[in-house]
Amino acid sequence: MTKLTINGIERVSDAPEDTPLLWVIREELGLTGTKFGCGAAQCGACTVLIEGIASFSCITPVGSVGDSEVTTIEGLSPDGSHPLQRAWVAEQVPQCGYCQSGQIMRAAGLLAATPQPDRETIRSVMSANLCRCGTYPRIFRAVERASREV
Amino acid sequence: MALNDMTLTRREMLKGAGGLLFVVGAGGLASVADAGGETARATDALAWVRIDPEGAIRILFPATEMGQGSSTALPLILAEELDADWDDVVIEQLNRDDRRFGNPAFGNVLYTAGSSAVYGYFDALRQAGADARAVLMQRAAALWQLPVSELRTEPSAVVHDPSGRRAAYGTLANGAGPLAIGDRPAPLKDPADYRLIGSATPRRDVPGKTDGTETFAIDVRVPGMLYASVLRAPVEGETLVSMDTAEARAAAGVVEVVSLPDGVAVVAETPWAARRGRDRLSVTWTETAAARDWSDAAALEVYAAAAEDLTSESAVWRVEGDAAAAIAAADRTMSATYRSDYAYHAQMEPMAVVADVAEDGSRAEVWAGTQTQSWTQRTIAEVLGIGADAVTLHMMPMGGGFGRRTALTQEYVRDALLCSRATGRPVKAIWTREDDLKHGWFRPAAAQHLRAGLNAQGGLSGWQHRVATPSVIAYFNPLRWQQVAPQDIISMRGAESKFYAIPDFAAEHVITERMARVIPWRGIGAAYTSFAAEAFVDELAEAAGRDPFAFRARLMSENPRGRHLLERVRAMSDWDRRHPGTGRGLAFAGYGDTMAAGVAEISLDRDSGVIRVLSFWAAVDAGLLVSPGNARAQVEGGIVFGVSSALRERVTIERGQVQQENFYDYEILRADAVPDIDVYFATGTHRPTQVGEAGTPMVAAAIANAFHDLTGRRLRHMPFTPERVREALGA
Repeated sequence: MTKLTINGIERVSDAPEDTPLLWVIREELGLTGTKFGCGAAQCGACTVLIEGIASFSCITPVGSVGDSEVTTIEGLSPDGSHPLQRAWVAEQVPQCGYCQSGQIMRAAGLLAATPQPDRETIRSVMSANLCRCGTYPRIFRAVERASREV
Repeated sequence: MALNDMTLTRREMLKGAGGLLFVVGAGGLASVADAGGETARATDALAWVRIDPEGAIRILFPATEMGQGSSTALPLILAEELDADWDDVVIEQLNRDDRRFGNPAFGNVLYTAGSSAVYGYFDALRQAGADARAVLMQRAAALWQLPVSELRTEPSAVVHDPSGRRAAYGTLANGAGPLAIGDRPAPLKDPADYRLIGSATPRRDVPGKTDGTETFAIDVRVPGMLYASVLRAPVEGETLVSMDTAEARAAAGVVEVVSLPDGVAVVAETPWAARRGRDRLSVTWTETAAARDWSDAAALEVYAAAAEDLTSESAVWRVEGDAAAAIAAADRTMSATYRSDYAYHAQMEPMAVVADVAEDGSRAEVWAGTQTQSWTQRTIAEVLGIGADAVTLHMMPMGGGFGRRTALTQEYVRDALLCSRATGRPVKAIWTREDDLKHGWFRPAAAQHLRAGLNAQGGLSGWQHRVATPSVIAYFNPLRWQQVAPQDIISMRGAESKFYAIPDFAAEHVITERMARVIPWRGIGAAYTSFAAEAFVDELAEAAGRDPFAFRARLMSENPRGRHLLERVRAMSDWDRRHPGTGRGLAFAGYGDTMAAGVAEISLDRDSGVIRVLSFWAAVDAGLLVSPGNARAQVEGGIVFGVSSALRERVTIERGQVQQENFYDYEILRADAVPDIDVYFATGTHRPTQVGEAGTPMVAAAIANAFHDLTGRRLRHMPFTPERVREALGA
């Protein structure tokens, strides 16, 4: 029995403590916007914020989360209106879209720490997340667009 | 409403629910139905439109969505000619193998591949929209007792300007009125009047892909659902000898262990319990499969020898004149052999399927993301031995496809079905990334031998392109191979070099033994044939002492649109201004009927052998762009895909086993290595051609040619890994 705070709501999980947070979020709690991509902290499709820091939920044991506040794509804004989400729509970033929750959460972590990142910083930080459709140029532009609004 | 069962909807509607239902055929509208009856013109029905009394215009999306954007583009084409208000349009996924809606580019199989959806469906959807609009105008004419010639339409309404009358499409659909369809197809719009085609209309699927609500197959949750994880035979063809499942069965949450034709599934209450249970399986496999002898290095040796042996048997892909004689008669003969390794799709969503098989096995409901309703439904029916009408299919958006989800027989679907049948509960089978890579189906390894002659004036005299690689179609779709053998477009596309006029030309497929599972991959054959052809053209231009633009332009004497792209990309890249420490390379390729000229600018770390692509300029002629913004996104993405493939991507196989495991040893391009990309689109034609794969084929040769520009050395083995780069430098 593990207590969690996800998107500001207290939740309880029956999963063994070594279960990756990803699977608890997705399959037990039904927040499927966070994706499974590699299970090895290589692709970032599973990225969530833990205490505001972009983290790989696929390698985070649920038992290690403790009182930390977890934010998923569903909790970033009530209605998809976060500046990053609006920028993602304005730049028409997604293609298949599978990686984009993770990309947006990675970018949210970046802007929380560095509200006005330069292009090189964006490239560097966003390199933690893979996009096979090749939307990277639009991701750069969307992060820059959002950073002007945050 | 899911368009799963449009027939039911139609029956309901005929019972008096109101609205108009259009059945649309290849030649336009086939029938119209309302509450009172139906009129039909017999053709093969291809698409459905339904206009609700409330004004919603429901347009069927007959392809599947993997990121290419045709779930917006196809309905948009129909909406244009219908003169629909785009905000009224509801897009509905076709969820079954109904060949009336099949892709005309693939003999009406429901098959989304080859960048074919927009160009394949373009004519049928336009005519459908125009014919449906004509019916609505007739109904307005009858209602108002006015000649139809005095009416016009504006978005979702018929109007009569002299009297100021106006009737919304929904109102016209609801009332009584004629259902007659004209004997001739209704006239189409002048492209100058397009409101939607060519506009900046955003993709419908983007909002759901930014707030986490888009539901992929892996996200589907069904009450009572279990999870399966499959331990697969390590080598193709091996089978189970024995297994000890006691430990796995004892693991918390494990419900069942299921034997599969080529693996063992652990089915559990949670995905993690299934994984942990699988780790506790003790399985002995046979060790006798012929595939135990497979290795990528051996395959390429065999393929290269076959390509270079001009007497080895080959299937003609394209022939003009007498290439051998022209080469023999030339002043100089050039030849080179190019190699390319196996490549993995690396789609971000690993294979995942949810299946719910009825307890007696008589029915199944399946949620899957694949590129083909036809072959997924066929797989389900074959696995369970049931008819198509006992299958309820949900075609989910895919977290990337790139060809991986095209096969005739889909083992990822089969496994979920067998696990559900064995447990009597719905099952979600999820592949790990390691499963997806180690048991992947790949772009085949290929060795290509090119020969050409140069005459004294530096012109080309004969071209021979021998591609030694297996038949991809023979493996991934043996039914199709029976129809097309020995012509394998998946293995060979691009080798026809059709944008050049070469009088004495031969492209030949040396069909080699398959030594891995193979399947289409973004760009299909062109992903490697255009690498070889365009790298070789660069070698010929150099030998002829000609500028690479001029040499190619001379081959395009009958292709002014192609020459235009060369001129544009030369200007865009400021080709004549060189930057110290960088190299520039040109390639001219494309995909299908789409032409693309690309220039890569690279830098090189000579110590490590790491190439960095700094910039990529592309000039593309894809004909009419239905969705220009998305077309640009597709070409950008295709270029990123091409850079990734050219620099890094390599599957190696030893003793029949894939050596890579995950993204740490099969690295695709990350954000920090993405070049600046600039894309130009030519305009001026009224038909669309292929877009989704058009950005990829030109990239590898442009990089190889840039490397030569920078170092004077040639890279003839893709990917251009640091080791191969250092070897080419003689380090």
